[in-house]
Amino acid sequence: MVTKTKGIGDLFKEIIDKGLCTVCGACVGDCPYVVFYRGKIRMLDFCNRTEGHCYEYCPRTFTDLDAISNKIHGTSYTGDEIGTVKEVLMARAGDSKTRAKAQYGGTVSALLSLALDNGVIDAAILSKNTDDKLPSGFVARSSAQVLEGAGSNYMAYPALEALNGMPRDSKDRLGIVVTPCQAIALAKMKVSPPSQRVSMENVRLSIGLFCTWALAYDRFFEFIKNNVSPAKIKKFDIPPPPANRFDFYIGKEVESFPLDGIRNYRMSTCAYCLDMTAEFTDISLGSVEGIEGWNTVIVRTQQGMDIVEEAKKKGVLEIKELPAQNLVHLKDAALIKKARAVQAIVERTGDKNDLMYLGISDNLKGKLLSHRVTAQGGH
Amino acid sequence: MPNIDMDAPGSNQLFIGNEAMARGALEAGIGFASAYPGTPSSEILGSLSEVAKKRDIYVEWSVNEKVAIEAGAAASFAGVRALVAMKMNGLNTVIDFLSTITLSGIGKKGIVVMVGDDPSAHSSSNETDSRPVSKWLDIPLVEPGDFQEAKDMMPFLYGISEEFGTISIMRSVTRIAHARGNIKLGEIPKIAHKARFEQYLDPAAPMPTPIMCVPSSFRHMFQHMRMDKVREKFESCSFNRYVGPDKPDLLIITAGSGWLYSQDAVNALKAENRIGILKLGTLWPLPEKLIKTHLSKADKVIFIEETDPFLEGVIMEYTAGFSPESKRNLFYGKHTRHLNSFGELTPDAVIKAITSVLDIKYAPRDAEYMKKVEAVPQGHVMDRLLTFCPGCPHRASFWAIKNALAMDGRNGFVTGDIGCYTMALGPAGFFQTRTHQCMGAGAGLANGFGQLSRFGFNQPVVSVVGDSTFYHSIIPALVNGVHNHSNFTLVILDNGATAMTGFQPHPGTELTAMGEPAAQISMENICRAIGARVEICDPFDLKDTTRTILDLVEQDQGARVAIMRRTCELVRQKKEKKPYKMQIDPDKCLGEDCGCNRLCTRVFRCPGLIWDAAAGKTRIDEVICTACGVCADICPEGAITKEAIA
Amino acid sequence: MKNLSKDPINLVVAGVGGQGNVMVSLVIGNALVHEGYFVTIGETYGSSQRGGSVMSHLKISAEKQFSPLIPEGQADVVLGMEPVETLRVLKSFGNQNVVTVVNPRPIHPVDFTGSGSGYPDIQSLLGQIKSMSARAYVVNATDEALKMGNAMLANMILIGALLKNSLIPLSEDALVPVIKDMFPKAVAANTKALKAGADLVSILN
Ligand SMILES: Cc1cc2nc3c(=O)[nH]c(=O)nc-3n(C[C@H](O)[C@H](O)[C@H](O)COP(=O)(O)OP(=O)(O)OC[C@H]3O[C@@H](n4cnc5c(N)ncnc54)[C@H](O)[C@@H]3O)c2cc1C
Ligand code: SF4
Ligand code: SF4
Repeated sequence: MVTKTKGIGDLFKEIIDKGLCTVCGACVGDCPYVVFYRGKIRMLDFCNRTEGHCYEYCPRTFTDLDAISNKIHGTSYTGDEIGTVKEVLMARAGDSKTRAKAQYGGTVSALLSLALDNGVIDAAILSKNTDDKLPSGFVARSSAQVLEGAGSNYMAYPALEALNGMPRDSKDRLGIVVTPCQAIALAKMKVSPPSQRVSMENVRLSIGLFCTWALAYDRFFEFIKNNVSPAKIKKFDIPPPPANRFDFYIGKEVESFPLDGIRNYRMSTCAYCLDMTAEFTDISLGSVEGIEGWNTVIVRTQQGMDIVEEAKKKGVLEIKELPAQNLVHLKDAALIKKARAVQAIVERTGDKNDLMYLGISDNLKGKLLSHRVTAQGGH
Repeated sequence: MPNIDMDAPGSNQLFIGNEAMARGALEAGIGFASAYPGTPSSEILGSLSEVAKKRDIYVEWSVNEKVAIEAGAAASFAGVRALVAMKMNGLNTVIDFLSTITLSGIGKKGIVVMVGDDPSAHSSSNETDSRPVSKWLDIPLVEPGDFQEAKDMMPFLYGISEEFGTISIMRSVTRIAHARGNIKLGEIPKIAHKARFEQYLDPAAPMPTPIMCVPSSFRHMFQHMRMDKVREKFESCSFNRYVGPDKPDLLIITAGSGWLYSQDAVNALKAENRIGILKLGTLWPLPEKLIKTHLSKADKVIFIEETDPFLEGVIMEYTAGFSPESKRNLFYGKHTRHLNSFGELTPDAVIKAITSVLDIKYAPRDAEYMKKVEAVPQGHVMDRLLTFCPGCPHRASFWAIKNALAMDGRNGFVTGDIGCYTMALGPAGFFQTRTHQCMGAGAGLANGFGQLSRFGFNQPVVSVVGDSTFYHSIIPALVNGVHNHSNFTLVILDNGATAMTGFQPHPGTELTAMGEPAAQISMENICRAIGARVEICDPFDLKDTTRTILDLVEQDQGARVAIMRRTCELVRQKKEKKPYKMQIDPDKCLGEDCGCNRLCTRVFRCPGLIWDAAAGKTRIDEVICTACGVCADICPEGAITKEAIA
Repeated sequence: MKNLSKDPINLVVAGVGGQGNVMVSLVIGNALVHEGYFVTIGETYGSSQRGGSVMSHLKISAEKQFSPLIPEGQADVVLGMEPVETLRVLKSFGNQNVVTVVNPRPIHPVDFTGSGSGYPDIQSLLGQIKSMSARAYVVNATDEALKMGNAMLANMILIGALLKNSLIPLSEDALVPVIKDMFPKAVAANTKALKAGADLVSILN
């Protein structure tokens, strides 16, 4: 188990060179030594500091889950399937234009727009596709700009680089859209805030995306180049199970590939990830199995509650109860991800007591290890 | 630089050895001089170029040494005295021509090759001793023992060259070529050179005879006969002389700078009555009789000479043929490890060798002082490693190359070449350069690396060369690379001059050595004509340069070229004032904190930036900083600012 | 020219590449040759690059041409253009009789070790320079030169300090023609600097 904060050399030796990097971007954008280039984290020069934020915030270096849970939710880490929850519901954007541009129900975009309009935040850090259909971070300051980012790109990209790139003295209140691993890095940043970066206090709203795995940027881009022309892609989609497809929307056509083949382009690090529902955020969202055009929404914090209430009041969101069966499936899937991750970790370390980056209690460790992985969950 | 053609015969001047040789060449009445710059030989042609027009002689910086010597030979063939200058590396590249001109013989007028050797390789990639070439190829060779001789030997050597019809070599070493000493000037003759290539269409001869080296074996024999005659001449030459007692306890046989060190050593040891010095000026062919005479007067003999045991070898070889009855000497030198056959001679090395042979005690300073010497903490005399000048474009170029190769992430590397940028082997260029051989070798190596993908090789290869090097020896390598589809990127650092050796012009610059408008040869046109993709960037635009290199590297096929164009800072400074006011905002400077950790003073390391350890901040040293402004672009915090000076 | 009480006089000029070391030895050497002396000058050099230690050896003789290098421990006079370089030269060439003139303005080495340990304490450097010299003089040449508007004038200020204390057999008058010859555009500034050096130099204590 790694517990000590180290420097950049160790980050490369232990994480990046070992295929554990999630490309979250926590180590990028803050110092001149590390950059993100074509899907990879690269070191331009050796920084001889023995302790650095790059190592400290990485979601794959030692992570004290109790500490981050306490910071975000005010409770220790429970290990529950979908984390700390205030409310689970089903929602979609009230505005049909947003829905049309969005991945599913457009809840993410609708909430961010509202937060911007309301003045809860001044800017939102989210992802937008380049002409090559590669995700890249950008800062949206209006609902129109938020819509530019709508839709999911299943390639992992360094969302936190964009956060780190904010001017140090920026007063902007920020919203940010993150995947679960990015949410963990962000939570680590909140636990021990950096002195030389934009203040973590500024991050007012974090919206998490459910995630079973993400695709490796460089390898998947090769695939797209070779199989569909990137410039023509309008949208990517992984329809909820049991579809087992990966869809490219090209104009009005949909070109489908079997999901099993696409899985080869997963990042190897996703196998060790135990969070499917972005547990350390204010609100997290995904699709709704069997109900097209809606989002599953997990509200986790008071900030999350406030904005969802407001959205309901203003009609920005249409809200329904999530069918009980869906919640059961969601929890199953989330638990399977946890159990699989722990199993993979133990396989890798060869030692039941060494869970790599996971700082969890022995009790919880035992619970997760005893779980049998059976059905296929998530995408 | 002194004016080497000053019309003041009999006056005393302070010249470096190279200027003395140039003056000697003028006094010898040369009409033609050609060279490629190389330390320690560059000032010969450099100083001649300044007076060429006035003295009505032709002087050129040739594209490389091979062309230089062939051009010089043409002058000789047409009846004009020619001087060709180069450093020892250059001599290596002209061996083939030398090996034929010794057979063909020269024209009516003499040709002298001045070769500057660099013992200790102060500014060189090797430490070869040029003297063995004389024995190998049968060429008369002399070596000046001081500055006056550096001048006076020139007319003498032209006499030899013409009398015996052979090309001749003068060897000097850094400590003569680049040291300064007294010169008494002689007359410079006024000569109206007349050039004509005689075709020897002698009606009596069976057929016309071109200047040629065939039949080679016959001509080889002929050259040996010439060398025997030269030897006779050398026996009585005044550049060979003896000082010391009639029957010395120790005979020093020396040449070149060894002559000065030997005198210094004898002086320091106050051993004038015990030690004799035979100083040779004509080294090959060996003045055997003279040597035999002196050997007969001493039992112990030590050889004091720079680099190789050349005299030591040829003299011991010569004595091996003595009859059994004749006197035998005890020989000391490099073969007995009294001196090294690497590294330059020093007075201390000579003193040590002599004290060891003669068992003399010598302590240059008292014990009390030595205690103080030993008490000086190492940190008080920390090393000063060489680096690029402040404001040097190479620092920026290598910064961009480094970042591009790191971003590419396939373990790319630089094959280096010869020039200031050789320093990129070390921290000055962020350790980017991974091979370093001779001129042109980096591009040749890149050609080979670029063909290895069939064996699993997948690293990007970047050959970095200077502008002058490009014309000197890179063009064939690029032709080869394009023709054979070798996969490499050629980066030409075009700073508009041959910077390392003192800003000589090259085929891409505006003026010739004579200061006349030159036909500028565009390197980009050459590269494009060869068929290579060419990108041109300004290394001070770090972003664009990095992107360009990355783009070229990622092309991953064929030989392609980036030209990084930015005037050498030393040249710019002469013409322009500082362009910016540089400042560092201490509130913004992060120093050693996470987020920077002294990128500027720890990694970028321009000498204009000082780390103020007490304050924990970087400062600008305004005396050193040339205000190029590059560091403002590398500071991640924007703490370093540049403000244009109107 | 006069006979020298010690022949040759061995002078070492120590500095950092880019400071103008070669220029100093050229000015002194030319003037001495015109006075009739034999002068030999040898240099350690890192080509044209800056930042390295640079040292010139001058041997001044009324009798003959000496070699361009001074043997270990045989300096008579050390002209230090920079404190660390002065100490470095004393370590190799100093002896109980050496006289030193030092310019106390440091030139920081580029930090290749990343240690960030910084430049040694100036007072401690000067203390050692003093203890390793029979006599030591100090002149704030760079500061004065900056006041005069050109850091390069420090070199002429240092030469002025040498002459003031008769450490080499040269008078100011002998230098004037050399200055005119070498710096035709800056004769006044250089002669002024020469005088400033003579005025400013003081015993190091
Ligand atoms: C890598 C990845 C894996 C996912 N896996 C699942 C899953 O297994 N199950 C599930 O139910 N849902 C998953 N989702 C979430 C789902 O695709 C939708 O993003 C989510 O339901 C929100 O829908 P929406 O209509 O509100 O989105 P929108 O309103 O369209 O907003 C989507 C937001 O996500 C941001 N975004 C797009 N791509 C990325 C990216 N690569 N990284 C970070 N942010 C991005 C956009 O900037 C935009 O703000 C995944 C999303 C991603 C990016
Ligand atoms: S997981 Fe994130 S923090 Fe860790 S190495 Fe990768 S990009 Fe950096
Ligand atoms: S501006 Fe910066 S990089 Fe340029 S010379 Fe000055 S300190 Fe060096």
